[in-house]
Amino acid sequence: MSNIQHNGSDEAEFAKPLYTPIKRRSFFMYAGATAGATALLLSGCDDDDDNNPVGMVDVGSGDPGVLNYAYALEQLEAAFYTTLRTGTYYTGLAAGSAEKSALDDLYYHEVIHRELFKTALGSGAIKGLEVDFSNIDFNARTSASGSSKLGVLDAAKAFEDLGVAAYNGAGKYITSADYLTLAGKIVSVEARHAALIRDLISNGTFVGSDVIDGNALERSKEPSEVVATANAFLKDGSKLNVSNIK
Amino acid sequence: MDFLNLLARLATLDTEAPATAAPRRAALSRLGQVGTALLPALLAALPAPALAGTKETRTRLDVLKLALKLELLENEFYSRALGLTPGGPTNPAAFFVTTANRAAIQTIQSHEAQHVALFTRLITDAGSPLDAVPNFDFTGSKNGTQPALYPDVYTNLDTFLKVAQLLEDAGVRAYKGQVEFIQTDNYTLEAALRTHSTEARHAAHIRTMRRQRGANVKSWVSPADAPITTAGTVPDAVYSTESNTTQYIVRNSVITKVPFDSSLPINVGTPPLSAAAILAKVAEAFDEPVEAATAEALLQLFTY
Repeated sequence: MSNIQHNGSDEAEFAKPLYTPIKRRSFFMYAGATAGATALLLSGCDDDDDNNPVGMVDVGSGDPGVLNYAYALEQLEAAFYTTLRTGTYYTGLAAGSAEKSALDDLYYHEVIHRELFKTALGSGAIKGLEVDFSNIDFNARTSASGSSKLGVLDAAKAFEDLGVAAYNGAGKYITSADYLTLAGKIVSVEARHAALIRDLISNGTFVGSDVIDGNALERSKEPSEVVATANAFLKDGSKLNVSNIK
Repeated sequence: MDFLNLLARLATLDTEAPATAAPRRAALSRLGQVGTALLPALLAALPAPALAGTKETRTRLDVLKLALKLELLENEFYSRALGLTPGGPTNPAAFFVTTANRAAIQTIQSHEAQHVALFTRLITDAGSPLDAVPNFDFTGSKNGTQPALYPDVYTNLDTFLKVAQLLEDAGVRAYKGQVEFIQTDNYTLEAALRTHSTEARHAAHIRTMRRQRGANVKSWVSPADAPITTAGTVPDAVYSTESNTTQYIVRNSVITKVPFDSSLPINVGTPPLSAAAILAKVAEAFDEPVEAATAEALLQLFTY
């Protein structure tokens, strides 16, 4: 994880010319790279790839790798909000209540994000992941004291905060300007989700000191850190290998 | 020559000269050299607004300076409300009605102050002088030289929160519009992204505060929100393109519209939503960027 701090190496970094225009990448460079990357992805679909531990889902490399990584996280979130709808916590919410309409919105938003990435990846998409929510109690709003299981809102908070940190940390691995902007369109909505869920748990905790640093910059997490958490919610055979994103 | 071969050849041409990052215009002129007969077909395959028309080209310094202007504006807006600087409510202690409201604004203001410090440092560390800080007028009257859009911004908490929502939503959109110009600089990119999501959390909470006070507004930008701006005014640009339901992806090297309105399995709840309702969810699910010019116009409204 990078830290935005005032130190020697940062000064060196900022000694670079600021006046150099950074122009939009040529569409053709981009399109050509995408075609190449697609071929690479297809060739990388073999599960016995040397870089891929047996039984893990390799998200791949390059922009398709980052998109598959995002697709995996959106699958996880969408599956969570889908499963949530069968638990007694959700089914017990009054129709039209603020909490129910918020959870309905989150469900649709995450399904929409998931389907967008699946469409973008086409035949290069990783498989549909099998989730393991055995540590979540879908009948409890928040964790009961003494329970080892996460309540619905605790789990939602964990997933949304994780998603924002994941996008913040993955931006630098995206080479396509269009996909960087697309990721930006999604991450701020995830941050809005995270803020509301936190406020539902305890009003005023929308941006706690656990998610920002002393510069008021939100946390960013490397893919390896993110999947260490995400894999706890995925079944064997669906756990993610992100070691080729670099 | 088929389409993919053409693209592959063009990509090769581009990578032979990596020192000159070819903008779209150059790519198009290069395309002319390869074969003009294909040009109309290729352009027809580029319906995405992001890829059409004139785009901004901005330096890293431009991006940092815009960020600092936005943060200075937000910081002063909240500082006045809290009584930290002059020009705010007559009785700042009473203005927020509840301690929870006041505490939230204190939290947000402290973040904006930290962002001001950060971007000030990033600019000065790079050896650039800072622009003069403008005067602020949050009524929108530019110091009485034009009719005020928000005359009661510091006497009516609901007006204050409307302006807060406007500034936070605008900030989120403005950062989003700038990230592509700092894409090759991982350090600045990550600083901007991490500021961006912090601002999005602020925006969500301001919206939650308004909802708690009876406003019809979600924590994310929704077509279902009661509008807080009037069509044709400067602030309206913050929302005028937010109801967009069209997103584009690149598939098999072709810019393709994501079929949210037809084949994608997104209307999967029971019972299904109406076509309009599911598209409203699509609009909510993506925050849209704005170009720097839109952000600058909003800054102009509140400065003189």
